[in-house]
Amino acid sequence: MESVSRDLQPGPFAARILSRRWLSPTAFELTLERPPGFDFQPGQRVRLGIGPNARDYSIAAAPGGPDIVLCIRRVAGGEVSTWLSKAGIGTELCGSGPHGYFTFTPSPRPAIFVATGTGVAPFVSMARAGTKGFTLLHGVKRVEDLFYRNLLAASAQRYIACLSEEAPVGSDVFAGRVTRHLERQVPPGTCDFYLCGRSEMIRDVTWLIDDRFPGSRVYSEIFY
Amino acid sequence: MKIYTGGGDRGKTSLFSGERVGKDNNRIEAYGDLDELNAVLGALAAGLPEASPGLQAELQAIQSDLFRIGAWLATTPGASAAESLPPIDPGRSVWLEGAIDRMEEDLSPLKTFILPGGHPSAAWAHVARTVCRRVERRVVRLAGDPPPGEAVAPLGRAMIYLNRLSDYLFVFARHCNRRHGIADTPWKA
Ligand SMILES: Cc1cc2nc3c(=O)[nH]c(=O)nc-3n(C[C@H](O)[C@H](O)[C@H](O)COP(=O)(O)OP(=O)(O)OC[C@H]3O[C@@H](n4cnc5c(N)ncnc54)[C@H](O)[C@@H]3O)c2cc1C
Repeated sequence: MESVSRDLQPGPFAARILSRRWLSPTAFELTLERPPGFDFQPGQRVRLGIGPNARDYSIAAAPGGPDIVLCIRRVAGGEVSTWLSKAGIGTELCGSGPHGYFTFTPSPRPAIFVATGTGVAPFVSMARAGTKGFTLLHGVKRVEDLFYRNLLAASAQRYIACLSEEAPVGSDVFAGRVTRHLERQVPPGTCDFYLCGRSEMIRDVTWLIDDRFPGSRVYSEIFY
Repeated sequence: MKIYTGGGDRGKTSLFSGERVGKDNNRIEAYGDLDELNAVLGALAAGLPEASPGLQAELQAIQSDLFRIGAWLATTPGASAAESLPPIDPGRSVWLEGAIDRMEEDLSPLKTFILPGGHPSAAWAHVARTVCRRVERRVVRLAGDPPPGEAVAPLGRAMIYLNRLSDYLFVFARHCNRRHGIADTPWKA
């Protein structure tokens, strides 16, 4: 896969909501029509403007497809995510994009993707675009939050679900946080790390990389 | 959006090309000083009289150019991440030359060194000029690090831009003094 092409200029767009599919009790996939000329690289995001608020959402679709797919957590008390969880099909949204540089570039080093919750969205886009052979650690509280498990497990060389609040079931499941898995199960080496999601995870994993994976590359996308 | 993770609390940071480096790394020094230059340009623009929208717009355009250069300074030459960066347009240095020539038209030729200072806007322009020279020195140092050749071509273009920007800021300072009816103070040896 190529890195972000220079001619992908972000711009404003309007796009209607085509469908909503619930992935868990609090997370949903929102499909928007792809505006004419809207092109992106896996790992990029859009910014949606809802009233006075603007929020970023990573694209979970493959480029070249007919739609823009977003994977969104409905945050308790969160204005925009709650609104998006209820907005009627056909509602027109204003946004801009594509934004960001969190794109995957293959290298001779092993690629390790680490996500928490909906932070898996850019990796879903990469997998849908045909990226394979990576290790993916998906940190969630409960099994119900393991969205896209089959898709990701099929593309990844190793797919590990890290459950922080539930006892594990299955061979691809680890009881504990992603940091603990990295510390205990991944042998030290020089890798390309792609981290996406909660800032605390990104901090802890970054420190672990400094200590245990010297010489590695680190690319991060902070959600909150 | 949350801008802090604390990942850098232990004195390291990530380059745009992904490497973890100490915050005293040459590359961090270079784009840190570039950031300082950008901030000083902001102070300079903020202190300009209301009646200078043209100059303000010019300074803002320069601030945007510096962001573009900063991305290159944060990227190891030849790294694949460099492919996603917007190129440094050599036309921007030519644009600076045009601005220098335009301001110089109204200035008397210098026969001696002048003391940096005068109107506050001129004084800020001199501060910006000296920071710009420091950034230029840092970039020269980076361009001398391996790998040489094509990969450092963007740094070469950045050097030309920074060299021209220093001259621009010198003339800008004199232009500010002239606009405010303040004569440059010659250096008396
Ligand atoms: C670069 C970037 C990409 C993003 N991509 C996505 C994405 O693909 N999917 C997505 O769901 N969110 C994503 N976010 C977060 C999103 O932009 C909003 O912050 C989120 O939807 C909450 O907005 P809100 O108005 O509902 O709540 P607000 O009132 O703005 O936020 C309330 C609190 O919700 C928490 N929060 C924010 N995002 C999440 C989340 N994803 N999961 C759990 N808690 C959260 C934070 O603690 C935040 O302080 C991204 C953020 C950034 C900066």
